[in-house]
Order: sequence, then structure tokens, then C-alpha cells
Amino acid sequence: MNVKKFFELAKEKGLEAAELVIQKNKGIEMSVYDESVEKYTLASTINVLARGIYKGKMGFAMSEKDDKTTAQYLVAQIKMSAGVSETEDLSIIFEGSPKYRKKSFFNKELATISESTKLESLFTIEKALKKAHPLITSVSTVQYSEIESDYKLFNSYGLKLTNKQNYFYYGTWVVAKEGDDVKSHVEVFLDNDYSKFDADTFVKKAADGVIEKLGGKPCATKDYPVVFNPKMTASLLAAYLTSASADRVEKNTSLFADKLNERVASSKVTVLDAPLTANLFYRYFDDEGVAKTNKPIIKNGILQTFFHNLSTATKMGVEPTGHGRNTGGRISVGISNITLKPGRNDFDTLIKDIKEGVFITELMGLHSGLNTTSGDFSLQAAGFMIRDGKVAEPVNLITVAGNLVKLFNDVKAVANENELQLSSYTTSSILVKSLKIAG
Amino acid sequence: MITKKLALEVLNVALSTGGDFAEIFLEETYSGNYTVENGKTQAPATSLTYGAGIRILKGLQSVYGHTSDLSKKGLLNLATALSAGFDGQRVLSVEKLKNVRVRKNHELEKSLELVDINEIVEKLKITNKVMKDYDEKIVRAISVLLTDVRNITIFNSEGNAFTDKQERVRLVFQAIAMAPGAFEYSYNGPGAHKGFEYVEGLDLEKIARDVADVAVRKLTAAECPSGKMPVVIGNGFGGVIFHEACGHPLEASSVSKGLSPFAGKVGKQIAHPAVTAVDDGTIVNGWGSNNIDDEGVKTKKNVLIKNGILQSYLVDRFNGRRMGIESNGTGRRQNYTFEPTSRMSNTYIAAGKYTPEEIISSVKLGLYAKSLGGGQVNPATGDFNFACDEAYIIRDGKVAELVKGASLVGNGADILMKIDMVANDLERAQGMCGADSGSVPVDVGQPTIRVSEITVGGRGGALQ
Repeated sequence: MNVKKFFELAKEKGLEAAELVIQKNKGIEMSVYDESVEKYTLASTINVLARGIYKGKMGFAMSEKDDKTTAQYLVAQIKMSAGVSETEDLSIIFEGSPKYRKKSFFNKELATISESTKLESLFTIEKALKKAHPLITSVSTVQYSEIESDYKLFNSYGLKLTNKQNYFYYGTWVVAKEGDDVKSHVEVFLDNDYSKFDADTFVKKAADGVIEKLGGKPCATKDYPVVFNPKMTASLLAAYLTSASADRVEKNTSLFADKLNERVASSKVTVLDAPLTANLFYRYFDDEGVAKTNKPIIKNGILQTFFHNLSTATKMGVEPTGHGRNTGGRISVGISNITLKPGRNDFDTLIKDIKEGVFITELMGLHSGLNTTSGDFSLQAAGFMIRDGKVAEPVNLITVAGNLVKLFNDVKAVANENELQLSSYTTSSILVKSLKIAG
Repeated sequence: MITKKLALEVLNVALSTGGDFAEIFLEETYSGNYTVENGKTQAPATSLTYGAGIRILKGLQSVYGHTSDLSKKGLLNLATALSAGFDGQRVLSVEKLKNVRVRKNHELEKSLELVDINEIVEKLKITNKVMKDYDEKIVRAISVLLTDVRNITIFNSEGNAFTDKQERVRLVFQAIAMAPGAFEYSYNGPGAHKGFEYVEGLDLEKIARDVADVAVRKLTAAECPSGKMPVVIGNGFGGVIFHEACGHPLEASSVSKGLSPFAGKVGKQIAHPAVTAVDDGTIVNGWGSNNIDDEGVKTKKNVLIKNGILQSYLVDRFNGRRMGIESNGTGRRQNYTFEPTSRMSNTYIAAGKYTPEEIISSVKLGLYAKSLGGGQVNPATGDFNFACDEAYIIRDGKVAELVKGASLVGNGADILMKIDMVANDLERAQGMCGADSGSVPVDVGQPTIRVSEITVGGRGGALQ
């Protein structure tokens, strides 16, 4: 993409300001099944996102085609898009933040490790998993993926920001069977430092993960104290935090509409926006070019700020928070890199006083069984009973129902695992006073 | 998009290390998203999906790569890199590519490429006003029109070249109602493999009004009770339950590895004799229909279950190799970045002999799940759950009060045996199905059915 040419054409065609985001992704994915390579995929994509202001309105377009015709196509689409727009979102192309905290967590080593080493490891893992336990009946896939992304933002004010990232992950899907009881488990490992991956630990976690689910049955229907593991905590927190998005507040679909500086969770809950944390999700600017910073969102249960993009911040008269997200050209509010501040105690201490409770490690139907606007949820779940302060027998096909507002206000304690999730959230297990479980 | 000469060269490079099948899938898709929200037209989002996917098969191994660089250099580089996935000698070369005639079954009158933007905006504005004005409790009304004009070309090492153009249009109406302390949501999303005449032929105002009506009524509904009970599932989108819980486990991607509870069960009773189920990719202008699948194979009407007996699976080329079965036209992919695999098209439970009224009146105390929302299924175990969009309690054979927050929880193999009454009011509804090869348009469908017993999740305590 000839960037200079695009901005020249934009100006010539009457755009008042314009912005170009060019994303290039390169990836490799390999998987083995039944002792042979099942998949070997090479990926290379380019994605050009263009926005521009025409007659005071923002228009946008996206193209994966990058040739001589692209600039012409994008400018024409921007004009069509802006031409019919009556949106109340403000049309802003950003001149730039005073300061950017640019660092790089791109790991150059990753690409230097040979493909055959990575492929070999998959065969080793598959073999080890099949032998890990007699009840494991199939290892449906063992997969390695590696992705490198290059993100560049340019605008007609001369702003130019770049960010390069890479990461890899191992994933496996294991099935175990005991009589008529079939259970499956997905284990994932994510990082960008290859030396941190240990195949033996991965195999053990995957095998234990599926075996301990066997024999799971529904439990008696009643209210129980409930513990969510870090991954499920992240899912619930992500659903709850959508209410802190300023565009939800604007559109009247937020649970936090008049809750700024008020209690939205128990005093045990502190949530940080942490994009500058040194991990593979590190980002120092958002999709509108606004600098990102670390800051508390919920402090000891009190809501500190909403998540803003340029338009919502300007309308509410506050500073932008660096949460503009570009989805196909349209700017929304995006929430990522969230950390739930860990508590002082470990998981065993968290559950030690629970006489009878439920430890939930899986939730299904989060996209349909949870209403982020009302906070109500009714979700299929699986996990384990907690008896006399210890994790006991597995439970399966239960539903857990409640409301997110009540759930987060009922958090009695947060454990200290501080686990980085695939979703970029860093979370720990939480103990919730009481939830309705149907068996 | 590329010449046959270049395609031949790329295929032959791909086959240079012993591959026994190679394919190039080229795509140029223009998509549009037009939205009116609370009376205001949003800036439309258009996108161009553009690129090629190259696949090489060797026995039960496959390598796949994709690129948006369709230059000679870009494609040859990719083919070379992929061919390095195998280390054998050439067993096959392609001499010539001939065009295979693709029969056009989904004719349209008004191409989406030629529709004026103002015409689209006008339709959306009218329906948006209907929703917003329906009741003052409607705080947010969203009317969306989605268009997709997909041009695909497939070249393969069998010497075949296919091209097809697929135009799809869909409307999505969403309404959010609010009362003190309560929010409720409802939606409907009709669509077709057709031109703009599809939109003109719909009673848009009625659809919009019904969406607003459900959202408003749910505000005052009681929480759904929980526990095991008989459930009547309404026609149309109710078929999502069959799609998720039974359709996915019948896909070769899951069957060929023995992961499906239905693997090895052809000819066996897997459902109640009242159940006959079909996946039909040929339905004229059907949302999930295509002339050819994304591997160039002609789509078919595949009977999956007949009177409860399993007849066949959904088979793509690659998984078919493992099973020793030919593809039956079900290899699909969201776009060129995905390797194709077996997917559903328009899947439905065939009409039965009862009237919907007879089915409702057969239940003394239970749930009528008139329409369902999304759901999830674990393909290894068949465990599923679905949220109900609109559900009522049935009392003494009559539809009684509306309830909210209902979900259905169960197991696919188990529920198939419990569908014991099927009505004669078959209807299909449109959705997007996400799986290994991305998100593809599908129809789900069924007549009104009775499930003798299923676990209902909700916050309203025991059913009384």
C-alpha cells in the first residue's frame, strides 16, 4: 500500500482528514492426529482499514486487496459511507497523545526455532497423552500455532505508530471414556517465549484435566457457595465489564449508568486496566492512536472510570482512556488486558472453610445464556463439589443461574493464581457467597 | 482472478513433492453492513475479502496455506512452501484445466451490486421506526441489512475449473426494552441466497413489530422455573437444537475420527421413529444453499435420519478419505483463509403428522419454547445447552404465562430418542454457524416438536 498516495488521493477527493491502519499477519499452524501430520497451514494476510471525514462525517472501508486500485476503492467507499451517515458519534481523527510508552515484547527467538523441532514436540505429546491413562480413548488433536502480527497506523496529521507482536500456543483436545461416560478436555498453553513450554507438564495437565471429569453427575438443586476457576472468572468479568464501556452507558444498556464512583462489586474486587504489563498482549496505543496507560477501573469495589474512545470521551468531557477499537473501520470501545488484582491467599485457603459448595471450571453458552444488559445469566456448568474444605467428586450438566451485579457484590475472596488467559485477562479464582445451582 | 496458465503452474509446483491432490480456491467477496439505530443511519461498513487458499493432500495428510497476494510470485512462493510439507517424488501432474459448467439454481432479479444505498436506508428506517414507536419502553432499536457478493473460482488437480457467484442478503432486527431494573432483548434475522427482491417481498413491518413486542412482554415475565419437564419446541429457529446437538456430530470431521456418538451407527436406530431429518444444500434461494460447495462438488439433498434410522453423514473430500466415502457436497469454508471441512447447509427435521395444537394439548405441565436463541454443544459428548428467546409455561394443554431466562440442557443422542411427537408445520430460519472452517450461513428448521423430558434451567424455582 502506497501510504503517501492514499493521503494525497483522500485530500484531492475532498476528505478533511484520513487514517490508515495496515495489519499484516503471518502464521503457521501444525497438528498431528494418529501419529501423522494432520494439518500444516501457512497463513499470510494483509488487512487495510481506512477511515476518513467527509462533510463532517466519518466514513470507512476495509480491503484485503492491496494493489494499484486499493486507494481509489477505499476513498470511494469512505465517501459513500460518510455520505449517508447520521451517527451521533463524533468524527475525530486524532492528532496524537503527548507521550507514548513504546516497548517491544516481540520475541525474535521464536521464529528461529526450527519447524521440525515444533512438529516433533507434537508427536511426543500425542504419544505421551495416549499412554498417560488407560481411560483416555482418543487424542483428537495436538496443535501448535505461531502468529506474528505487524500493525501500523498512519493519519493525515502525520501520526505514525507501529506495534509488532508474536506468540505461540499449544492446544490439545483429549477424550476419556469410562463405561457410557464420555468426557473431553481442552488444554492450552500460550506464550511468546518458547523456553517456557514444558511438554511433560502440558501432558500431565491435559490428562488430569479429562480424567478428573469422569463420573461427573448433576448435584442436588439448591443454593451453594460457588468458586469459579481463573478462566471462568475471566469470562464472567469480561461480561460484567462490558457495562463499563462508555458507549454502552451512552446507549442506555449499561448496568453502570449512574454508578461512577459508586459500588459495583464487593470490596475484595479491584480491577486494573493493564495494557503496559510486560506480556505478549502489551499494547501502547489504541486503534485511534491514543496512548494507553495502566489504571484502576474498579478499586475495592468502587467504579473509577468508564472505558472510552475519542468520541465517548469528548462527549462526556473527559480524557480518552485508550480503548478505541477498530472493527472493520467502525470505532467501538474495546476492553482487553484486564487484571483482577490477586488476593493474599492461595486456592486451598480460599476453599478451606466451605463445608459444601461447588467449584465451577466450565461454563457453556456464555454468548446466549448471559444477558450483559440485565446481568441475568443461566448457564450450563461443570466442575466439582467442594466438601469439608476440599475439592471432591466431579459434577456435570448443572446450571448455574444468577445476576452479574449480585455475583460480583457477593465475592467474598479472591485467590492468588494471577493466571494469564487467552483472552488477555489476568485472573484468579473467586469465591461467591451463594448461587442457585440446578442439577 | 488468475489465468489458467498460472493456476496450472501453481498446481504443478504444489504436486512436486508427492501430493496426490491439489486445489486453489480464489475468492473476491464484497460485503456490506448497513445499520439504522434509533432512527439514525450509521456509516455503512463495507469490506473486500480477497485472496487464495492452496491445499495439497497426500493420503490422510493435508497442508493448507492462504495469502492475499495473488501475484505470480505470491502464489508460487506459497505453493513451494507448502510442497515442502511432503518429501516424496511427484506422482501426479496436471496437463490441462477445463471449465466445469456450474448449474445456477439460485437465480435472482435484483443484484445486490446494483441496489441504491438510499433504497436500503429507506427500508431500514421504516422498520426501525416501527420498533421504536411500538412502545416507549423500547430504548434501543437496531435494523441491519447485510449483503455478501461472493465470487469464487476453484482449480484442482483433477483438471477442473469451477466458478460461481453467490449473493446473499439478510436483515437483522434487534429491540431492547427497558423498565426500572429490567432489560430485555429480542431479535429476528431472515435471509436468503437471493437478490434485493427478497427484502422487497418480506412483510418487514410485521417482523419488526413482533420483535419489539416480545422484548416488551418479557419485561414483565416471571423467571423460568427449573427442573426436568416435557418441552414443546416451536417451529423454525427451534431447529437450532437439532443443528447443534445432532447435525454437528453427523459431520465427517467428527465422525471420521470416531469422536461422534453417531460414528459407526449407519442403519441403526438413533432417534425416535417420529424423526426424519435432512440436510439440503439445493433448496432454491435457501440461505444455506449453494450450487457447488467450496470444493467444487455439486450440493445435494442428503437424508440424514429416516424414521429414526441413521442414513448418512455430511462428508467432505478430506474426511471422506478417512471414511472411504465420496464427498456429498458439504465441504464449506467461511472464506479463503479456512481449509474446507464438512458443514451443514439447510438442516431440518421433516414434517410429521400432528398439528401444533395437538402437541401443545398433549402436555399437562411443561414448557413451550416458542423460539430459541443461540446454543453450544460439545461434539465429543453431545452435551448441549440452548437459551430460549421466547418461552411459555404449558398448563393443562394450553399455552399459559410467558417466562424469561429459560435454557434447555441435555445430550444430543439422548434427546433424539425423546422427540416423540412431530407436527406438520415445518419452517426454516436463518443463522450463522461457527466451526473449524469458520462462520457459514445455514438454515435450521423443524416443525413444532415434543420432547418427552429435558432439563430446563431458570431462576424461578420448581415448576408448579
